[in-house]
Amino acid sequence: MTETEHVSSNDSALDYYLRAEGITKVYSNGTVALKEADLEIHRGEIIGLLGENGAGKTTLTKILSGLLPPTKGRVISPRGPVRFGSPREALDFGIGMVYQHFALVGTFTAAENVALSHEHPFSTVQLASTKERLERLMKESGLHVPLDVPVEKLAVGEQQRVEVLKVLSRDVDLLILDEPTSVLTPLEVDELFVLLRRLREAGKSIILITHKLKEVGSITDRVVVLRHGEMVGDLTTADATTEQLARLMVGKMIDTAARAVELTEEGLPHRESARVEEMKSGPIILHVENLTTHGNTGEIAVEDLSFDVHAGEIFGVAGVEGNGQTELVESLTGLRVPASGVATINGTNILGKDPREIYRLGVAHIPEDRWELGLVLPFTLAENAILGVQRWEEFRGPMSFLRWGKINQHVRELMERFDIQATGPGAPAKSLSGGNQQKLIVGRELAKNPDIIVAAQPTRGLDIGSAQYIRDLLVEMRNNDRAILLVSADLDEVLALSDRIAIMYEGRFMTIASPADLDRETIGLLMGGVTVKEGV
Amino acid sequence: MSTEVTKNSSGPRGMARRTLTGLNPALESVLAGVVGLLIGALLMWIWGYDPWKAYMAMFRGAYGDSYGLASSAARGVPLILTALTFSICVRAGMFNIGAEGQLYMGALAAVTVGYFTLPSGLHVIAGIIFAMLAGAVWSLVPAILKLTRGVSEVISTIMFNWIARFLAFYMVAFILVDPARGEKTISIPMNARFPILVRGTDLSYSLFAAILFAIVIYFVLWHTTIGYEVRASGLNPAAARYGGIKSKRTMLLSFILGGLAAGLAGATVVMGNPPTYAVISGLPQLMNVGFDGMAVAMVGRNHPIGIIIAALFFGGLTAGGRVMQFYGSNPVPLEMVRIVMGAIVLAMSIPELFRMFPAIKRQGTKLCGLLRRLTHRASSEEGSA
Amino acid sequence: MSWNDILSLLRISLHAMVPITLTAVGEIIGETAGLFNIGLEGALLLSAFAGAIGAEFGGPLVGLLAGVVVGAGLGLLFSVINTYWKGTQMITGIGINLFAVGIVAFGLIKLGAPGFHDVPKVAELAKLQTPIGAVSPMIFVALIVPFIAYWFLKRTRAGLILKAVGEAPEAADVAGININLVRLLATTFGGALAGLGGAYMSVCWIGSVTKDISAGRGFIALATVVFSGLNPLLALLGGFIFGFFQSLATWIKTLPSKPIPWQFVEMLPYIVTLLVVSGVIGRVRFPRALGQPYKRE
Repeated sequence: MTETEHVSSNDSALDYYLRAEGITKVYSNGTVALKEADLEIHRGEIIGLLGENGAGKTTLTKILSGLLPPTKGRVISPRGPVRFGSPREALDFGIGMVYQHFALVGTFTAAENVALSHEHPFSTVQLASTKERLERLMKESGLHVPLDVPVEKLAVGEQQRVEVLKVLSRDVDLLILDEPTSVLTPLEVDELFVLLRRLREAGKSIILITHKLKEVGSITDRVVVLRHGEMVGDLTTADATTEQLARLMVGKMIDTAARAVELTEEGLPHRESARVEEMKSGPIILHVENLTTHGNTGEIAVEDLSFDVHAGEIFGVAGVEGNGQTELVESLTGLRVPASGVATINGTNILGKDPREIYRLGVAHIPEDRWELGLVLPFTLAENAILGVQRWEEFRGPMSFLRWGKINQHVRELMERFDIQATGPGAPAKSLSGGNQQKLIVGRELAKNPDIIVAAQPTRGLDIGSAQYIRDLLVEMRNNDRAILLVSADLDEVLALSDRIAIMYEGRFMTIASPADLDRETIGLLMGGVTVKEGV
Repeated sequence: MSTEVTKNSSGPRGMARRTLTGLNPALESVLAGVVGLLIGALLMWIWGYDPWKAYMAMFRGAYGDSYGLASSAARGVPLILTALTFSICVRAGMFNIGAEGQLYMGALAAVTVGYFTLPSGLHVIAGIIFAMLAGAVWSLVPAILKLTRGVSEVISTIMFNWIARFLAFYMVAFILVDPARGEKTISIPMNARFPILVRGTDLSYSLFAAILFAIVIYFVLWHTTIGYEVRASGLNPAAARYGGIKSKRTMLLSFILGGLAAGLAGATVVMGNPPTYAVISGLPQLMNVGFDGMAVAMVGRNHPIGIIIAALFFGGLTAGGRVMQFYGSNPVPLEMVRIVMGAIVLAMSIPELFRMFPAIKRQGTKLCGLLRRLTHRASSEEGSA
Repeated sequence: MSWNDILSLLRISLHAMVPITLTAVGEIIGETAGLFNIGLEGALLLSAFAGAIGAEFGGPLVGLLAGVVVGAGLGLLFSVINTYWKGTQMITGIGINLFAVGIVAFGLIKLGAPGFHDVPKVAELAKLQTPIGAVSPMIFVALIVPFIAYWFLKRTRAGLILKAVGEAPEAADVAGININLVRLLATTFGGALAGLGGAYMSVCWIGSVTKDISAGRGFIALATVVFSGLNPLLALLGGFIFGFFQSLATWIKTLPSKPIPWQFVEMLPYIVTLLVVSGVIGRVRFPRALGQPYKRE
């Protein structure tokens, strides 16, 4: 099922900047990340590299930027084949990459970070001249960052600007950006796009990795689509429709028994009949009043939040990551002590309590980072299945001895019910795929028979099948009269699943409304912190 | 990696599985041991000794006869315990280097019990308890420093080792000294001694105490909720917190258990060591037992069963070394044993070592598969790789 | 307490400071790059031994050089195992300590007297006459090295590279820096400094080498590193503080009426270190990647 549509926008075959031919990458554990990918890059062009998680976009660009070697295939320039042994060699050639997880030294200032990739090893750091150079660059490019502050103290958008400056200061010809807008507000995205257009005018080539269809339409000249490591589409943006791109990206739509999902023109999954009348009918499970929480560096992360979550509803919290969502979830699940406010589950206070007590009160927590919080990777499935509930009577016998028999049985039931692929309860958790790991966590949490499920980024990094499965589970829970607090940076997901949605910006809810009442533009503005007058 | 579809479980069935599939890491330990011995052989040869004869003498001395075996076991007893000190804390994510000092304190406490008169069985038990408590207290202070002031336990336990050393010197010379013979403490009375297990050797019933303690630790760590919480905290503190586990508690518990183990080790040295049953000035019977215990812990992969085996091996090295140093025309000094131990630990620190010998790995994997098949009651559901 | 006593105290303090400060500065460089070497004790011991033998054969300078070489060699071994071979730093350090203890004890036996060996007077480094008395020239070395190290870390790009490697190796990797090589160089150099300190002990100061001449100084150096917050100038101060307490201990032992048993006096430096380390923690921030091997993903 290969739909490769090549519409080259240049006629001359030699008029290219770089060409990747037959790039294949197989990791040491056997995963095939890329299969025979070809890509031709021209000067003065913005290419959108589109694909779902795991499609191979990051792998391809890591190969282009010298961080990884290809298993097969080659990269050639008009002057002959090129081979990069390290990111530095690629930089010297003229290819620079801005990573999704910034490659910055947190304790260094912006100037020091830039100085790191320049200059001869033993010179005394001429910070003054580096700063001068940077000031000039900032003026030219329109990017502004404080140069003397340790980078870890800067806002995420500013940090990204430091990264871009770092790469630009090396005078690159090809600039690769990996999901740059996932950490930006809509306003910052516009600023970034202005910069990119300016660079294009100057004859640079730009590859933009994204999974957002709208971005592709607004900034790119060409779109290249990857799916499961294969190149499935290479079109001029003008010729492509969002539907076409979405179909290329995802392939066959995944049918679940309950519903068929189609893409509407705006790219939103089509909702079932709105349960407007049935909203807010169940009893209040979670009640939050004037909640204020501080973040790790002392600043206010959650500011004076008040909201309720009822039984039988999915309350979604949308917003660009880094606006306090993590701290909100932590405050409600015993991982962070708030500064002030009230939060109760079924009337009982949960603030300041430790996670175990909160679980006992009927709360389940699907954490946003399954490797760091949700699982102990070296532990077996069985050992992970009791994380958080290890002291509950069914698992803990006399003298605190663990009832392994019961636990193993429990795990087998979980594996059966949630279709978790593994060799058995004794398999180490790290041997499972991401999707199965998440299913284990979800199964563990649901097995607590909770009144409310706090799900933070529940489908992040999962393959489509697993993501859909988990979304269906959440809906099923809602239909069974549970309350669900869904926090997700995936706007489409939140809009599709939630009965009510709150948009979080800088620790506050900009609005709480039904998704049907909000159009994309309003949402974008709210996410960017712009208050929208009612009725407009 | 072999891709067999067998029923993996934790728990009683899994218990057998755990120690057996641990064979791969066990093989690593064996390999490290071999490498260490080879390095020792090389050095011996460079210095003009005959490594083959030396090792023959050593192994015969260690395992050749029942006397040797008993000797090796006797040397291994305190090592089991000091190894557990290190391992329990490692499992909790901590580095407790203080077994040496805690050991000294335990030994002193065991001697102190000798001043009292108690009926036979009770006296031994009192000695054990007192020694364990002393070790636990000595281990507790660094733990508290870490909890309240964030002091690196590596540094604090080492400092406490040195403080304990001089404190012990003082106690042995002035407080607990034997009025008749100034170079040792009083000998603990008959009632307070571990009975000898094998006549004519210095192996006492302390062996059972040590093994029993190791087994108890095994059950605590793998079969109780608190042990589970300790291991979780050590492997992933953030996830442990998410699971409602209080890391302060697990850390404290691990240090206490570790201190108990080291204290007991001190007791076994004093109460199980003919002919003196006392602490000798300069602490020769205790010196380095703590540090050697760490080597044993690493080779035993921080697992109680592995530790028991490794302790017997290291005990054998020492016991055999004592024989080796008198054997032949050009005997190898006892200090060579320490060199071998150091080399083994160095070899242990290289995980790639295993990967560097692919042929051995192939044999090892085959062996694992064979053993798995042998122990798997339900005959093969499908062939293994 | 007479003026002479004070001068004597000062002299001994300065002498005792040397091995601590040198080792600590070396370890600061290593830890800035991310490697935590607990095997310093073994390095000190082995280089003291090597220094004694070297001095006997070729004079004091050869002895010092021998110590440097041995220290650098151990640093090299440690770093290779823990960078290219992806080892575990704690275990390697402990292994080195065990190994060194064994080799030195063994070597001393071979040299004739188990546990003890004198360095001939003629092979010791000559002392300089100064206003406060006869001091070893090495003291000046120990006074200068921290300043050089401080300048190096703060003002050169190499220092910046070291810090990047220890704090955010992923970022340094992307910037084209060879993580393993940097760590190797840093720890080898740190080992060389420790080796110098060790050789100093036998060749320039104590004048003999015993089975446990290092007497925990390697660990005290580690504590000094913590105290210094990875600032070489503070390591100089820390070394002096320890040296002072050790000289105090020695002085008390010489008093005709012994107010305190010598055992407690010997404890003093370790207790002081403990107090200093306990009092100071909290304001110290260590490189984020300290103690973790780097794997490129």
